[in-house]
Amino acid sequence: MDLSRRLAEAAVRRTCVLVVEVPGWAATRYAAELAIRRRGWRLASSPADADVLLTCGTPGPRLAEAVGLLWEQVPGPRARATVTARSAVDAAMEQAAAALLDTGHQRADAAQRSPDPAMGTRAEHDEDDEDSGGSENQHADEEHASDGSDGDMNDSDMNDGGGDMDMDMEPGGIPLAGGAQDRDGLEMDVLHVPLGPVLPHWPAGLLLHCTLSGDVVTEARPEVLGAAVDAVPDPPMPGASAVDRLDRAARLLYLAGWEARATDALRLRDDLLAGNDDASVAAGVDRLVARIRRSWVLRWSLRGTGPISSGTCEELGLDDRATGDVHDRLVICLTEARSALEGDRLPAPVSPEILAELLPGLEIGAVRLLVASLDLDTGAHLSTGTAAR
Amino acid sequence: MNAVEIVQVSAAWAPLGALLLLALATVATGLDGAIAARAAGHPWQQGLRLPWAETARLLRQRRRTTVAADRLLWRTAGAGLLVTALLKIVVVPLGAWTLSDMSVGLVWFNAMDILVWALVWLAGWGPNSAHSLIGGYRFLGQALSYELPLMFALTAPATAAGSLRVGDIVTAQQGLWFIVWMPVAFLVFCAALMGFSVWGPFSTPFGADIAGGVLAETSGIDRWLLLAGRWALLTAGSAFGVTLFLGGGAGPVLPAWLWVLVKTGILLAALVLLRRRLPALRPDRIAAAAWLVVLPLVLLQVLIVSVVVVGRG
Repeated sequence: MDLSRRLAEAAVRRTCVLVVEVPGWAATRYAAELAIRRRGWRLASSPADADVLLTCGTPGPRLAEAVGLLWEQVPGPRARATVTARSAVDAAMEQAAAALLDTGHQRADAAQRSPDPAMGTRAEHDEDDEDSGGSENQHADEEHASDGSDGDMNDSDMNDGGGDMDMDMEPGGIPLAGGAQDRDGLEMDVLHVPLGPVLPHWPAGLLLHCTLSGDVVTEARPEVLGAAVDAVPDPPMPGASAVDRLDRAARLLYLAGWEARATDALRLRDDLLAGNDDASVAAGVDRLVARIRRSWVLRWSLRGTGPISSGTCEELGLDDRATGDVHDRLVICLTEARSALEGDRLPAPVSPEILAELLPGLEIGAVRLLVASLDLDTGAHLSTGTAAR
Repeated sequence: MNAVEIVQVSAAWAPLGALLLLALATVATGLDGAIAARAAGHPWQQGLRLPWAETARLLRQRRRTTVAADRLLWRTAGAGLLVTALLKIVVVPLGAWTLSDMSVGLVWFNAMDILVWALVWLAGWGPNSAHSLIGGYRFLGQALSYELPLMFALTAPATAAGSLRVGDIVTAQQGLWFIVWMPVAFLVFCAALMGFSVWGPFSTPFGADIAGGVLAETSGIDRWLLLAGRWALLTAGSAFGVTLFLGGGAGPVLPAWLWVLVKTGILLAALVLLRRRLPALRPDRIAAAAWLVVLPLVLLQVLIVSVVVVGRG
């Protein structure tokens, strides 16, 4: 056995997978994540971190193009797979591992790639023309492949010098950032950065067109890139359930930087999916809630982050359980999982449209936590992203 | 306990120091992997292989670049963290031997620490990417919070020993380890150590909420250098903490050099275990706590140490 073969075998033991969930295919993603954990692999945090790009579901044209751009950014050795059913997950993983081990195939793949980084498409710069029908097509062309884990196309920040340089200069083809007054009256660079549609711990298919002032979101326009028109998820998307609450709690905990407790939540989710006894899962949820409540560091760190007042709740038609900060919603998310196990009905998910109201003024980390703390219904908004262009 | 005479050895021993540093960092990574593997439902032995598997993966991975990246600064910063960690241990005595017995060893360590400011920020700036850049700025905010408390925490042992020479600080602890009467300075040092290693509760510049932040655009050997650099900084910092507060090589039975390694390993293990119990501290929260609570406390600690030193004459 030669050295490069051994290196490849050692490397494949720790394969990193970037999972793309198409709205509606949550169950397939759960199965994929379980398979990844069982193999001792891990989830990638960005395309640069990934060896395998796994798409769960059949994406619509715009989401498919975004996935295509991600594929260009995966460094390689790389493998790509699409699964549309839970039963297909294991075979897809086997194939991906085999492809990664096939050094000849990887060499050929690398040889035909351009050494220059892929030029993506620009983030939109004009938020006002979104309703004018005439520019709709061109508009869609501009934004379709933007993805949040890769900001390269959208941030020429810092190049702006004194702010008096010629704004037509475009280093690398990227326009320079404009300036605008921040909340404190000082000038800040203004960037147009898309968040999504593919980010770890992010709602499926959600694309937020953000205007950033430094790391603060000053404007956000949500949109959902959906599944292909004729695609039917297998199994059909479940409604609000204990499984989905545990999944969301795990996301929140990952984003809060508490991997140990996030893993606990994911294991409870997987136990539930594997058909384990509800009572033992309920006991696990109780333990997790107790541990989270006991952590004063988490409370201190999240206190006042992403607050929603009861007035705003009413205005936006949110269930009043959403009142409070991210920490409150994390605890409620887990108590809801607990009550769902006992047969209670959970409140219905809400439209991502409300994000446009809630996000402005928040720092990007707070934005991520707030988005994860809400039960957003990206499935019901399939129409926005699937319309054929 | 006999006072150990610190001798400066030839620079030819530097590679051995580097090897020891990397070996300890590998052990710490393996321990971290083993605990994580157990938590994920795997046998813990599987996690021990983690540093090797991750290294193999990154050695095999292609490097990548982004549009209009500042490649020179980006790559320099990536490799710089590991170099900084190696420069830090130059003044850490391994038992009786040290690579450099300079008279301002403590200041040297602190100066290397300031280098990390530039390196992490440049690593975030280089790829010309929003998430990386936000990561870089998060680190600067964090550094503004931990740096002054760290400087005063370093002042306490120097004041007690009446010297900035690391060897003198070790000798001054022969009767009583400094941790016993400077617990606050020790705890602040440990927190700042996680801060400059951008690790554990202080890892938001590399956070999941910004797609890996400073790491977001790196792959292959560039990513390995950043990750290894963080673990090496953590190890170098632990070794320095052992030297300043835990009596360096002092201890029964075992030779002094082995005690330094054992104590460093124990401190590292304690940090790895602590990390599992704590969420990340959000960057906007750290500043208030650092300036309003930690800084006064550590100043009080320095005052107490100064009064004791003056009182002893």
